[in-house]
Amino acid sequence: MRVRGATLVLLLATAAIVGMAPYVGPPLDPETGSFVWWQLRVPRVVMAALVGGTLSSVGAAYQLVFQNPLATPSTIGTSAGAVLGVLAAVVAGAPSTSANLPWLTLAAFAGALATTVIVAGLAAYGRARMHDILLAGIAVSLAAGAVGTALESVADVGQRFTVSQWSLGHLPQVGYRGVAILLPFLAVAWIGLLVELRALHALTGGEDVAQTQGVDVPRARAVTLGAGAVGVAACVAWCGPIGFVGLIVPHVVRLAGARSPRVLVPLSLVAGMGFLVSCDLVARLVVPGHELPVGVVTAALGAPALLLLLAWPAARRGR
Amino acid sequence: MELILDGVSITHHDIPILTDVMLTLRTGELVVLVGPNGAGKTTLLRAALGLVRLDRGRITLDGEDATRLAPRARASRLAWLPQTGSVSEPMTAADHVAAARYRFGESARRAEAGAFRALTRVDAGSLAERALGSLSGGERQRVAIAAVLAQEAPLLLLDEPANHLDPHQQRETFRLIAALARMGHGVLCVTHDVGALAGLAKEDSTRVVGLRSGRLAFDVPLGDATLAARLSDLFGLRLAFAERDGERALVTWWPVAEPAERPCG
Repeated sequence: MRVRGATLVLLLATAAIVGMAPYVGPPLDPETGSFVWWQLRVPRVVMAALVGGTLSSVGAAYQLVFQNPLATPSTIGTSAGAVLGVLAAVVAGAPSTSANLPWLTLAAFAGALATTVIVAGLAAYGRARMHDILLAGIAVSLAAGAVGTALESVADVGQRFTVSQWSLGHLPQVGYRGVAILLPFLAVAWIGLLVELRALHALTGGEDVAQTQGVDVPRARAVTLGAGAVGVAACVAWCGPIGFVGLIVPHVVRLAGARSPRVLVPLSLVAGMGFLVSCDLVARLVVPGHELPVGVVTAALGAPALLLLLAWPAARRGR
Repeated sequence: MELILDGVSITHHDIPILTDVMLTLRTGELVVLVGPNGAGKTTLLRAALGLVRLDRGRITLDGEDATRLAPRARASRLAWLPQTGSVSEPMTAADHVAAARYRFGESARRAEAGAFRALTRVDAGSLAERALGSLSGGERQRVAIAAVLAQEAPLLLLDEPANHLDPHQQRETFRLIAALARMGHGVLCVTHDVGALAGLAKEDSTRVVGLRSGRLAFDVPLGDATLAARLSDLFGLRLAFAERDGERALVTWWPVAEPAERPCG
């Protein structure tokens, strides 16, 4: 449980990236500078940090609760549900932008929660095994995808474009409305995961062993999956599905030396902040005058980073 | 602390696994549960731990219905060493042992201190910072026993604790188990390695229980004169205790195989 040198580096790097990020970009105009800084750059970095931290910590917790290194925040169908919700809303004629009500956000949130409730409900049922729940998550995702494809086939070109734009993930913000809306949901996720940290630690020995060590396994996994899903649903609803973050960051944190789950989840939260903020920087800068969708960058940056770490002999030692 | 299985029957898809089993385990006792593969030994432990539903009978811990206990209450009385333990995360031995202290609801630092104490009790303090994946089979088993002790339950249910260990490590493990009973734990130890019985002291508090096809075959003190005969009957082999120079063995007799006239094939 010792915080190793590499872990410290991870923490400092995140602090440096998040602190520096708003400074990166073209020089600020004296007239509009204050607006650009406080209403565009800072909220965007804050949003990237919150979303990155949430997706990563939920990913770490899901990998622990499923005892499966391939689990991600969307394993239980959250992202698929959100995409389906948006598709349904767009096909039903919801405006893609509205001053009064963010219809797409609401539809995504409803879709994400609907799929998750099915899977988390199964998790709360005592006799279900963890791989049953994993399978249920995959089944729900596939079903949502199939219904989505059916809806897409009746959508017109404009509607399809709206959905495809939304599903690439986006972090730009004007002001702090998004941050204020998201924070309560993210707080539910973070508190839920922190409350169950010790149970997640015990679950590394398997569900039966954890049960005999005193863990109320159905409750622990329902709280972890449920609280995590609330946070992820909020992130996906506001920013669209941003892939790879929740899969890759926990593995990078493990390779950096965080062995115990009691360290892994909080460190993934911190490292995820740094990771998504840096991905967003790359998305802003790599093509001058044009912004890439951040989801493209997370995959393009994250996958090689993970491969590099896996191949790095020092990181593999002692595993 | 007293664990009582009273007329316990368990069926799985209409196949009887345990039938009308009576068994008592008190603190300070060592009960060795033996029987052929498939006799229901592991199921018996899992039933006591509330991991399997009973079809008939009762399991009580100091008179309380064990199947109705909350997980944390049961964990304060019973600790379990499963037959095959697997750990899904790359952790150190100390982290793995610390996880067993869930029921105390303590800080990570205190859990780690408790893990060190448990590791020291099994002479594995030096393994604390080693990654689980780098341990040998014997070291792993020692760490697994430390995890059981870290839970600080009076009654310990150990499932094949010496499996996959070399003869020397097996002997050390059984010595450790006997010492735990002398220190006041009640130990129910499942094994099909009957040879280990020869190394245990013939105290009144040490019993051997035979299980065959889910039924209790015998429940006798280790010093019982009929034990070798009962074991022979249980396994369908000829077993006998032999003593020489202050050492004892439980020997399995084999029929002398005649050399084949021609090589096979």
